[in-house]
Amino acid sequence: MPLGASKIAAGCALAALALPYAITSPYYSGLLVYAAVLAMLATSVNMVYGYLGFVTFGQAAFFGLGAYTAGLLTVKLGISYWVAAPLAMLPGAALGALVGFASLRLGGAYFAIASLTAAEVLRLLAANWVDFTRGPLGVLVPAAPLPFQELLGLSMAQAYLAVVLLALLAVVFALHRLMASPYGRAWLAIRESQNLAESLGIETTRFRVVNVALAGAVAALAGVLLVPKIFVITPDLFGPTFSATGLLAVILGGRGTLLGPLVGGAIFAVLPEVLRFVDEIRIAIFAVLLLVVVRTLPGGLMSLVKNRRTARAYDQVDAPEAALAPPQTPAPDVRRAGNPAPLLEVSNISKAFRGLQAMRGLSFTLAQGEVLGLIGPNGAGKTTCLNLISGFITPDEGSVRFAGNDIGGSRPSVIARSGLVRTFQQTTLFADLTVRHNVLIATHLAATEWFASALLATSSYAKREAHRAALAAKVLATAGLAHRADDKAGSLPYGEQRLLAIALALAAQPRLLLLDEPAAGLNHTEAMQLVALLHKLRDQGLSILIIDHNLKMMMAVSDRIVVLHHGEKLAEGPPAEVRAHPEVIQAYLGGRKVESGEPATEARHAPA
Amino acid sequence: MDMLAQQIVNGLSAGMAYALVALGLTLIFGILHVINFAHGEFFMLGGFVAVLAAKWLGLPYLFSLPLAVAVVGAAAWGVDRIAVRSLVQRRDGLSDVLLSTYAFSLLLYHGTLGIWGPAPARVEGFEGSFDLGPVTLTNQRLFILAFGAALIAGLQVMLTRTRFGRQMRAMAQSRFAAQVVGIDVAGIGTRAYVLAAAVAALAGAMLAPVILFSPLMGSNTVIKAFVVVVLGGMGSVAGAVVCGIGLGVLEALMSLYLSEGIASAVIYSLLIAMLLVRPQGLFGKAA
Repeated sequence: MPLGASKIAAGCALAALALPYAITSPYYSGLLVYAAVLAMLATSVNMVYGYLGFVTFGQAAFFGLGAYTAGLLTVKLGISYWVAAPLAMLPGAALGALVGFASLRLGGAYFAIASLTAAEVLRLLAANWVDFTRGPLGVLVPAAPLPFQELLGLSMAQAYLAVVLLALLAVVFALHRLMASPYGRAWLAIRESQNLAESLGIETTRFRVVNVALAGAVAALAGVLLVPKIFVITPDLFGPTFSATGLLAVILGGRGTLLGPLVGGAIFAVLPEVLRFVDEIRIAIFAVLLLVVVRTLPGGLMSLVKNRRTARAYDQVDAPEAALAPPQTPAPDVRRAGNPAPLLEVSNISKAFRGLQAMRGLSFTLAQGEVLGLIGPNGAGKTTCLNLISGFITPDEGSVRFAGNDIGGSRPSVIARSGLVRTFQQTTLFADLTVRHNVLIATHLAATEWFASALLATSSYAKREAHRAALAAKVLATAGLAHRADDKAGSLPYGEQRLLAIALALAAQPRLLLLDEPAAGLNHTEAMQLVALLHKLRDQGLSILIIDHNLKMMMAVSDRIVVLHHGEKLAEGPPAEVRAHPEVIQAYLGGRKVESGEPATEARHAPA
Repeated sequence: MDMLAQQIVNGLSAGMAYALVALGLTLIFGILHVINFAHGEFFMLGGFVAVLAAKWLGLPYLFSLPLAVAVVGAAAWGVDRIAVRSLVQRRDGLSDVLLSTYAFSLLLYHGTLGIWGPAPARVEGFEGSFDLGPVTLTNQRLFILAFGAALIAGLQVMLTRTRFGRQMRAMAQSRFAAQVVGIDVAGIGTRAYVLAAAVAALAGAMLAPVILFSPLMGSNTVIKAFVVVVLGGMGSVAGAVVCGIGLGVLEALMSLYLSEGIASAVIYSLLIAMLLVRPQGLFGKAA
């Protein structure tokens, strides 16, 4: 695919250079410029809204900031506009990084309103700081001829159009590259499920900041490129109209598609002009068209183009057999070899939620290569324990040591990077993406990727991508899902979805795998498939901590079992021993609680 | 000092309008989980009906209030039918409704512009004023405060004590569960949408005599209403009321020292700062 995309891009670049020759009317070249600028603005919105999943009402903040920076640099410092243009992307990127960082705490509608507010603050500043910006009168930017235009025999309007089209093309091509890289995959992962992304080692903070900063730079560039068309930069550039236009163009064209924002942006630029002959009511007609589209085409205009290639474009990576990595797991015979330092050491952890003491002073260890089962009645604190170990909640007391390092209180992504990867009780998958794309996202930790190498698609990057693809293929084969690679994850039957969830964790190449109720809801055949997979992993020497209610399975796969009750350890030992333990029987079957004498209420929770 | 007290009193009535508009926004968000882009235009339309009732029909001001409720309520019913009701249940319901209600806000705004033109219009409200110590309170402002407070109290009673209120609150918790126990979720959604629009229309009709009607008053107010909704915590009724009135007073006080634009910029900056410290809003529950 990358080759095809490069060819298409080269063709488009030629067209972008040739097209201006054909357009002699300044009106039409101006209209095309405006369409390209709105397309670029919409593309920046699509990065944040379509790919990262944050609704932004304030993309005009970056748009206006770009225009004002370029204009003020030109007017105040006398720098040539074309030199100022690339510089003017920097404040947009910086503001984007700031907003992206702020979005740590702001999800959903809050992010939308905060971005709208940021744009309003800038608009009001531009309107009221009259000494600097001339307020509502605006900054007058003199026309700046391009150095090469006469050489090419182009008028200024034509040369300007060529520059704008090439810039748009560069942005779209770069975005295409990024979406096919670990960056794009991380964004989609964050959009679909923040927790799953973290659990697979994706540092959600970093990738969010990068996304919003890049989108800020793109929106700023769009603003910069609008300047030669409008000459006067006014506070309206920060206004809600542009923010809304960008957002709505994305929704109209199709969010999360590469070309949708281009189509939407062009329509927003051109349609009101085309409708000029009905002058008075053109906005009304435009509004009615919008309504018709939204009612009849929920996925935006791009949903009309039913092209399977576009749908699958980002999960196709060539995976030559040669790139297959050697198995990363240690040899099986490490298991039960004497008693070396434990892989996982949980000491005395406690956690209270408000008044409820969910976990009190729990300690246990897990040896390298061991399969440890964690059982207990509902509400015993099993999932809390797993959340504490994997970093999704922080213990109030106690420590968690993994491979000799204290990981208590670390972020889930950091813990995943160190080799401890979990699955979730609910089937958490990237449901709208293919099975292969799911697993490719999960190979995030296989190799660190630099932004520039992904953008330039260097040869070492291609090698790493091939390695990731091979790893994904291997994991799919292990989980027995290879035949499902091109199906949407959400369309798999439930049992296979559970297997895919484990495959995702495996793609993160864990040393210790934490499974949270992997057998929940499985029928007998599916449970047998799961047991077979667990045995396979165990034989490969993978250490596993498993929680489940299916006691038969737990007894079959576990080397050792820890029993939790009311957030405390009730018993510990080999399956047979634990099964015969009187307190365990009492906890599961009810009766009187041995120590405190209070009547146990857990009987009805006993697993079926 | 007198000036200060006067500004506070004036700010209260502007704040009441913010509160009522924000109340509708927060109600719709709480129950339907969508953002109603057209909400500001319902506020504007309420004012517009008051203008037309006086200028075209020659009706006394008091009659324009029920008229505004009837006209805007009917309009909102139509908007809901076309742009909200069937779209909220879609997977991308939030963005689809955003787009469709945006289209309607364009239609309503440009429709008003087409009928009336961009010129502001004066509406005569209740005449006369009285003095409260150093502070002068016009009868219209007193009416806004009294009627607005009654509206809020009435809504509160409706939400907590009536069957309709309980159904709305059930939907706010879970649309699915509400449906399972037999609540007509689509119907309740429509009634909530029309109710919110009617409250905004009343606010518009009440405020038009104080601020001059202009077709732009919808978009000017709705941004501030958004701010109020977020400050108060999405879906929080008490938050919308307290923050709406607070914003009105704060704006009035700041106008003593700062130009209107800078005052707004300061308020918005405060909002962003607060969101970073307490993202769930002042009255929202911690996530």
